[in-house]
Amino acid sequence: MNEVSAAHGGDNPLPEPGEITIRLHEWNEGKPAAIERLFDLVYPHLRQIAGALFRGERPENLLQPTSVVNELFLKLIRQRSLRFEDREHFYSLSARLMRRVLVDHARSEGRQKRDGGIPVPLHEELIWIDARHAEMMDLDRVLAELEKLDPQKCRMVELRFFLGFTAEETAELMNTSKASVDRELRFVRGWLYDRLHTP
Amino acid sequence: MIQDSENWELLQDLFHLAEVTPEEDRERVLAEHCPDPEIRRRALTIFLAANIDSLEAAPKGAPAMSGKIGPYSVLKHIGTGGIGSVYLVERMIGGALQRSALKVLAPHAAGPSFAERFHREQHILASLDHPNITRMLDAGLSESGQPYLVMEYVDGVHLDTYCDGKNLDIAERLQIFLHVCDAVAYAHRNLVVHLDLKPSNILVTSDGTVKLLDFGTSKLIQPDSLLTVTVMATPAYASPEQLRNEPVTTACDVYELGVILFEMLSGRRPGGDASVAAMIERAVNEEEPEPLPDAVTEPAAAQRGLSEGRLRSLLSDDLATIVAKCLSSRPKDRYSSVDSLTGDIQRFIDGRTVLARPQTRFYKFSKFVRRNRGTVVTSLLITVILLASLSYGAWRQEQALREGQRALRMQNFMYRLLYLANSNFTGKPTVTVPEFLQLGVKLLPDYIKDPADLRKAQISLAESMYENGDLDNAQKVLTQTIASAKAAGDIEAEAESESTLGDLAYTQGQTDLGQTLTAHALELSRKPGISPSVRVWSAVYYAGNRDRLGYLTDENLHLLQTAAKESREYNLPPREVADTLYNLAFDFKLRERFDEAEPVYLQALQVYAQDPQAQCDQSAVYGELAFIKDHRGDVQGSLPMYQRAYDGYIACSGAESRGALEQLDNLSGALIKLGRAPEAVIKLKKAMPAWRKIAGSSPSLFDPLSFLSRAYVETGRYAEAEKVAKEMVEIETGKVAPTDRRFGISHYLWARALAGQHRYQEALPHAGIADKLLALNEVSAGAKQEGSAAHQLLLDIQLKLAHK
Repeated sequence: MNEVSAAHGGDNPLPEPGEITIRLHEWNEGKPAAIERLFDLVYPHLRQIAGALFRGERPENLLQPTSVVNELFLKLIRQRSLRFEDREHFYSLSARLMRRVLVDHARSEGRQKRDGGIPVPLHEELIWIDARHAEMMDLDRVLAELEKLDPQKCRMVELRFFLGFTAEETAELMNTSKASVDRELRFVRGWLYDRLHTP
Repeated sequence: MIQDSENWELLQDLFHLAEVTPEEDRERVLAEHCPDPEIRRRALTIFLAANIDSLEAAPKGAPAMSGKIGPYSVLKHIGTGGIGSVYLVERMIGGALQRSALKVLAPHAAGPSFAERFHREQHILASLDHPNITRMLDAGLSESGQPYLVMEYVDGVHLDTYCDGKNLDIAERLQIFLHVCDAVAYAHRNLVVHLDLKPSNILVTSDGTVKLLDFGTSKLIQPDSLLTVTVMATPAYASPEQLRNEPVTTACDVYELGVILFEMLSGRRPGGDASVAAMIERAVNEEEPEPLPDAVTEPAAAQRGLSEGRLRSLLSDDLATIVAKCLSSRPKDRYSSVDSLTGDIQRFIDGRTVLARPQTRFYKFSKFVRRNRGTVVTSLLITVILLASLSYGAWRQEQALREGQRALRMQNFMYRLLYLANSNFTGKPTVTVPEFLQLGVKLLPDYIKDPADLRKAQISLAESMYENGDLDNAQKVLTQTIASAKAAGDIEAEAESESTLGDLAYTQGQTDLGQTLTAHALELSRKPGISPSVRVWSAVYYAGNRDRLGYLTDENLHLLQTAAKESREYNLPPREVADTLYNLAFDFKLRERFDEAEPVYLQALQVYAQDPQAQCDQSAVYGELAFIKDHRGDVQGSLPMYQRAYDGYIACSGAESRGALEQLDNLSGALIKLGRAPEAVIKLKKAMPAWRKIAGSSPSLFDPLSFLSRAYVETGRYAEAEKVAKEMVEIETGKVAPTDRRFGISHYLWARALAGQHRYQEALPHAGIADKLLALNEVSAGAKQEGSAAHQLLLDIQLKLAHK
């Protein structure tokens, strides 16, 4: 569905009022079918907005995805497609979508793996993943493994490193403390690194 | 290999245990918790992987930009901001190396139409000439096609670093903040909003000079970009409406100034280091920020040389009110302009009460407009916008809530005005000022529901129309306001509209109506409950106009003296005080009490000189001071002052403005006295077409014509002098009283022109009339001179005829 939605990114039909809210709740209640519909609803918007991210040539020109998602959030609220109270679900979903946007981008660019690149650029001071690396696809693969093992941690990685949320923001959205977020992410970083480097 | 999934929790426990255990004990401690060596090894592998510094491989710091960008050689990378990277560059200009700052804009920020947009905006950006604003020097595209901007390079530190590094106290911080406000207010007067004010955009040089960066850059950002202000502005300082992605106005800058002030005073930003999501949440819910004193901490207090308790109490009264007003969630609740914010801070510094009552703002505003006689079009546009925001600032709160939708429309309206106003700088004005004002009058009732507020707003707009020369519409609106004020028993509005309408009637030459209206307004203004400002202005309009009619009564002088005193006692805005002083001095001058006039003019000049917007007023004072020199006999000394007044008027209202033309006439008059009449002829002839445009064939043309006729007489060009004198009599006939001094002067010049052509017989009756009329009007020393000159002329002509 990625290709189709992206292709229609230019003229997104507006979702029915409240539909995003309903699907978000379904998703949150563990109905897996809801997420595909949500992807259809939100992904084109996000893809369209995020498109601007990829036009920058140098890392310092890249915008914070947080801003992009805030932008989308406000847009959906203005369209009454979303209620303010749904922001926790919304940001979690967006983090997931951003991951997909980046992976799609990496795939479409078809870039070669580089020698001596950044194996897992998940670092305190580098809040966002560099979108241009072919390792993105590898990272996506091991994140899928992580999701099976521990969906909570996967969500944390997505918020923190794909949306560029601060540890505090991530903690707030996940109803936990900043210390726990930092702690869990230290472990995850090690685990991901190891998984990326073990065939 | 064992599966992580089976030992997931255990692996994490071991991992965190390893984190807190010294390396030498690690194997042993982990073994105590987990007997399985394979699981231990797995946990340690993850632990070691987590500690690999993956940043080492990451690209660091500055991007690899080197060599040249356009004609500029890159010296070093200075910083990276939201919309691009900044470099220190140099370029050879006129044989000297000039250093400047060059900002490469990210392509997403610049967009495809950047060049076109920059071209459109560069006039206005280049026109921002203020000591506290960094100048925009150049722009272009690099070899690789990236757009860049070149600005004045400032060697300074960020505002917060400067204040904290020097441990400045509150008073010193406020002084620096006032400089920041000054620059922002200046930009607003030029219709430029900043929209991204923050400490890192404000540099302070080692000598303490404040320099604002990036002014106007916001206007260059791709307007149709999906990435709007939310993305571009720094969220920590952005106004709620920016975060809500609503239309932006000068009120955004006021908000951002509020955040900066909050941080300068208390040591941290309102809400602390809140997340962007939390900030948006606050913006959407229209939450008001925390009170200023709550943010005070002990270290911040120490840095300001105070105890925590002392700083908290210092920040709890007026300063807290000022900051809170800037930070109001809704733009209409904020200061209507940066000037009013500065005013309150200045009042705090001076130990005066800050202005609390919003109603008084109308009045000050209308005086502001009144004082701007002849200023440039753009300030009028700004005033309309200010008026719009003021008027709905006066709404009662519940009404504003009910009409939230309207408020939004009003914002859109203002935004639109701002946008249209800016298009004036392209040289293609979209809407004329009178059209703007009429639109404002039409729209006001939609936005202001309180009839009293509506009247005040209408009076302000009518005054703007008046200033702008749209007398008919001003008259219409004022007449309506008077009727509505009478019906409602609103004496203050009635007095203000009547005195303004009276002044307008004088301007149109309807002196009887003018006298009636201003006299009635004066009477009303003496009733209890009238604001000092209305009282002062009713007196000035009444007495000032009567003075100019020639009724130099004691009552007038007394009224003007009282007005000058009251304007100071009641702390009217400086410009109004200066204006009242000016009118008093003018009265003294008309009475030829020059020794009393001069010091009062100098006082007025002092006040005007503080206000860059008062250039026309300053010029008027210079003209008056020159006139005094001139009439005391120091004609040579008056020349440079007349010249200064003339140049000043050209700068503030153009070479064809009445002010400039009047000064040119006076300058020519002085030249004639100095025996340089031929120079005067050239100047006066050049000014005539502009005078005719302004005055048509009304008696206002008397002064320029009489100077011209006199200049011709003095150069021996009698035939031309005769023609002009004849015209003078024509424009006066039926319009001024037959006994008026002006008839006397006209016939005097006519007689001299004829006598010069040896046509003594024809000259005789004119000399006779002049002698009679000027003798009638010998009310002052100057007039006595005229009278005796006319009498001498008559005798000379009679003598000539007797000899024949």
